[in-house]
Amino acid sequence: MLRTNPAKRRVASKPDPIPSLLEDFGRAFLFEGPVKTSVSVGILYSRSGSYARISDACRTGALNAIVEINADPTRSISFVAIERDPAGDVDHYGPLCEEILRDTPARHIIGCVTSWSRKEVIPTLEKSGGTLWYTVPYEGFEASDHVVYLHACPNQHLLPLLDWTFPAYGRRGYLTGSNYIWGWEMNRLAREIIHTAGGEVVGERYLPIGSVDIDRMIEEVRATEPDFILNSLIGPSSYAFLKAYAALGAKDPRFSPARRPVLSCNLTECELADIGEAAEGLIAAGPYFHDGTQTFASSHEAAANRAVHALADLLEPTPQDAGEPIAVLLKTSAGQQSGIDAKTHHIPQPVLISIVQNGAFKVVHSGGLVAGDPYLTQPVLAPPRRLRVVS
Amino acid sequence: MKRGVRIVDLGGAHAVILHRPHPVVAALSRQLLAVGLRVTTHWPGLEAEALAADFVFFDADMGFDEQFPWQPGLAPMPLIALIGSEAPGRIEWALSMGATAQILKPVGDSGVYSALLIARNAFEARRALSAEVDDLKQKIGERQTVVRAVVMLIEQTGTEAAAYSMLRREAMNARISLEEAAARMLARASRPRDRRPHGGAV
Repeated sequence: MLRTNPAKRRVASKPDPIPSLLEDFGRAFLFEGPVKTSVSVGILYSRSGSYARISDACRTGALNAIVEINADPTRSISFVAIERDPAGDVDHYGPLCEEILRDTPARHIIGCVTSWSRKEVIPTLEKSGGTLWYTVPYEGFEASDHVVYLHACPNQHLLPLLDWTFPAYGRRGYLTGSNYIWGWEMNRLAREIIHTAGGEVVGERYLPIGSVDIDRMIEEVRATEPDFILNSLIGPSSYAFLKAYAALGAKDPRFSPARRPVLSCNLTECELADIGEAAEGLIAAGPYFHDGTQTFASSHEAAANRAVHALADLLEPTPQDAGEPIAVLLKTSAGQQSGIDAKTHHIPQPVLISIVQNGAFKVVHSGGLVAGDPYLTQPVLAPPRRLRVVS
Repeated sequence: MKRGVRIVDLGGAHAVILHRPHPVVAALSRQLLAVGLRVTTHWPGLEAEALAADFVFFDADMGFDEQFPWQPGLAPMPLIALIGSEAPGRIEWALSMGATAQILKPVGDSGVYSALLIARNAFEARRALSAEVDDLKQKIGERQTVVRAVVMLIEQTGTEAAAYSMLRREAMNARISLEEAAARMLARASRPRDRRPHGGAV
């Protein structure tokens, strides 16, 4: 018996199949969306503790980006967030990172705020081939094969900030910091930069994370009258210092922010509300400041959002490779287009310097896009020399 | 103003890895490139260009003297041993080559930056010390010259103290070392009499 071709039979029974096929196609792709490959992503931000504001800003950026990716019908992947909360305790980061990598399919983790916590998770990432997407500024001198650095490092924040500050305010600096690697390294670099420029470090003092015991610092600043104060304190220590210094400035005009400003490489919009009026006149360096019209409230939120989109872009062509180490992903053509440097895993960042005015940052200098140079070993391109027109 | 802060001598510096093809080489190269160095790999022998390298990382497990174009312990740059087996014999050999830092295999995500700085620091300290030792050795060798000059001058001055101060005056006037002054005076004395300068006039 001759079997009839089912398609032909269908054609025979339905003389004009095209509109219904189109309708099926449309329903599948336009209304329900194509079937997306689901990829798990770890979220490792502290919901409490002394730097919770920064964590929250990063977390908001990451979670919003996941919603965006999942709602995007042109994407072939969707993300499932697997969240763990280290609650601001540095000893929880390593075990929770391990838990994500061991018990869930997630191989990419967006998270960590302090350098201390980042260094805690790197051995775990190394063991499991996982990747940390790190979205806050840090002190450089690291280029882990298992970390992508999405915020600024010193040649993108501290160096341009001091370059800009010296001619404007002077070269005598007072250095403060929280007592861990961020403060230590930022101040070590600042000391070298200031000395190389022929300036002077008039004082240097650290506080344990969370401490608000700032009287001695303020007293030293009052006694030494520095041209500027580099503030690498974090969280409540930083807020207490800024409030006390603003109070000093209000009493004694020699310490007004216009005369002796406080500089910061880690202060963003997400902490301005905690500081209130005491932030007025503070000068900060960063890759992004909110001018009132853009999408992201702070550079932390922007960097975390970028992390999720960059990961989605990397995985888009081959979602099945989500478990590959970042070094492998960066070798693909999507990786080469990602803007992530395959050698250092850093990305070029805009260098912006801004001053807090009326409760918001106002950008006063733009240094253009600068590639990350975590070990400060790359030659600096000389700034374009301004030639005088001779007529 | 960035000269003092930027470690420009590491940026673009040439690191040589002397190791058979192995994941260790890839992990090491990755870290070196991230720090900003240039990397070449060699096995089993170091070629002539390695003499101009700024750092040499060598395999302590399978390495042997003949791989290196210099005598053991006389490498012209800092050496870093790549140690897998901690067998005492192999460590001894790595030390005899002049390694001033080490990295344990398997090589992971870190360790290279600190090894570079520690190796260079120890290498420079060792080089400064050996220059000083050479200088002191030369001085000791010249002690006999000084003794001979003083003995000779005692004939003119009568006492050892006067002979010594005459020698010292000669050295100070000519702004040369005591040893050099002694050698000069002895040379002058050994010349034929008729060609000897008198009172400074020739």
